[in-house]
Amino acid sequence: MLLNTFAGLTPGVFYGIIGILLTLMAQLTRTVNFSQMGVGMFGGYVGMTMIQKLKIDMWLAALVGLVIAAVLSGIIGWIIATWLPNAQIATRSAVTVAALLLIVATSSVLFGANHSNFKPLLQNNVAEFNVGDVKLFVSQNFVVLLVLALVILIGSSLLLKRTMFGVRLRAISDRQAAAELIGVNVKVLNVGVWVVSGALISITISFMPASISNDYISFSLLVIAGSAAALVGAFKNPWLALLGGVLIGVLQGFVSALPALAAYKEWVTFILILVFLLWNQRKEVWDVAR
Amino acid sequence: MSLVLNDVTVSRGVGPVISNVTLEVKPGQITTLVGPNGAGKTSLIESIAGVIIPSSGSVVMNDVDITKFSKRKRSRAGLAIVEQGRMIFPSLTVRENLQLTARTKSDFDEAMALFPELEKRMNNNTVLLSGGEQQMVVLARAFASKPKYLLLDEMSLGLAPVVFMRLLPVIEGIAKSGVGVLLVEQFAHLALGIAEDAMVVTSGRVSYHGSPKKLTSDAELMRKSYMGE
Ligand SMILES: Nc1ncnc2c1ncn2[C@@H]1O[C@H](COP(=O)(O)OP(=O)(O)OP(=O)(O)O)[C@@H](O)[C@H]1O
Ligand SMILES: [Mg+2]
Repeated sequence: MLLNTFAGLTPGVFYGIIGILLTLMAQLTRTVNFSQMGVGMFGGYVGMTMIQKLKIDMWLAALVGLVIAAVLSGIIGWIIATWLPNAQIATRSAVTVAALLLIVATSSVLFGANHSNFKPLLQNNVAEFNVGDVKLFVSQNFVVLLVLALVILIGSSLLLKRTMFGVRLRAISDRQAAAELIGVNVKVLNVGVWVVSGALISITISFMPASISNDYISFSLLVIAGSAAALVGAFKNPWLALLGGVLIGVLQGFVSALPALAAYKEWVTFILILVFLLWNQRKEVWDVAR
Repeated sequence: MSLVLNDVTVSRGVGPVISNVTLEVKPGQITTLVGPNGAGKTSLIESIAGVIIPSSGSVVMNDVDITKFSKRKRSRAGLAIVEQGRMIFPSLTVRENLQLTARTKSDFDEAMALFPELEKRMNNNTVLLSGGEQQMVVLARAFASKPKYLLLDEMSLGLAPVVFMRLLPVIEGIAKSGVGVLLVEQFAHLALGIAEDAMVVTSGRVSYHGSPKKLTSDAELMRKSYMGE
């Protein structure tokens, strides 16, 4: 049980990063990006296909995947910024659902038969230790993902607070129309955020723990677990999103260790979403009552 | 050299809200535009700023036709607008609000010097400021971009008259520095008092254009203009 729970940390941080990126995207581009994992998956699968067909190096394939994900994400961002610049967040997010469906449909044509499991770039352990008579492993993936999460969290916070680039992004997030009127290049900045987000998710995926099922549909739907993580921070606080991700991962690990519950592992995400929605609802009711 | 609206018509939803309006804002001068609620004052300003594109007519700035320019391009060409309703960026500090438009340190300092009382609030989030202070930030931010023309839409809205009176000499000073100012206001008398040129707009049409003094000193003329007679 301890083993499984501990092993849940790596997928947890992975979900956390998805949640962090979703949170930042929601803040900076007013869009819940449901296409996020689809975009990363597509890049990853193209890279993987190239490894198989062209025998290219794994790291080169990861780079190809990154470029594809960044460009694809940029295109979705550009479409939203061009045609729905002032639309509500729900409408903008709906576009990303459409994009997700399109990506999944295209993938079934391109990679249909190819369900060979996606492999992380690093597969060794950096440390192992004993707790009682249970042997626990710390994988390279875990270390890289954790560092990546912290780099994104601290980096984005510094960027937003300390650079003019960040000040402009925050101005857009506050009042897009007013930012445009004072000459901020809203569209370029918006698309830039999408491109960076695509690149970051692709890097994250390159270190995706092997324990996560990753045929192209499950892969794309990991965005749900990421959304649950982001929900913990109310799509506002990226640190809480990381915490939420870890919570999901660890709970899933714990549940999978119980023979009676193991089959319900995937329900953890759903239940967590439900709990947080109800929790928020309760607060709102309370606010109104006050 | 001036900012000119030539025979501009603006349509919105049901129909024209501005019909065949022609006006000119000269550098270094204040043109005050007044009119009742819903007369089309904001629509007029928005058609100059590029928020809405006129269905006919043209907007010309210093001999350049900017009718088809994007908002951003207009701003780069030297147009600054203070929208109706205190358009601060609430999560930005006072300093950051000004940094958004100031191209140089001296532009920033000059804008800051308009309102020395903002100095001690420099690192506060603007959402924490009073309405009057927020309006100062918005005006300073517009001035920091070193505009050639400045459009001000009902800065007085929701402010006590004394607070608005604090803004007026600053607006005068900005005009004296060579900026052409279009001042849209409900506080007709105060705003007309600092103007070189006056216009009254009613139901999307110009019902008076001429001396501000004549308008303020003749109550019957003012009433008739507001009624569109
Ligand atoms: N976004 C919009 N869509 C449709 N009609 C609009 C829109 N904005 C304003 N209008 C209409 O255009 C007309 C002019 O409105 P506008 O806001 O320009 O008037 P105003 O003179 O600025 O009024 P106020 O003094 O209340 O600010 C009004 O009849 C208004 O209902
Ligand atoms: Mg108005």
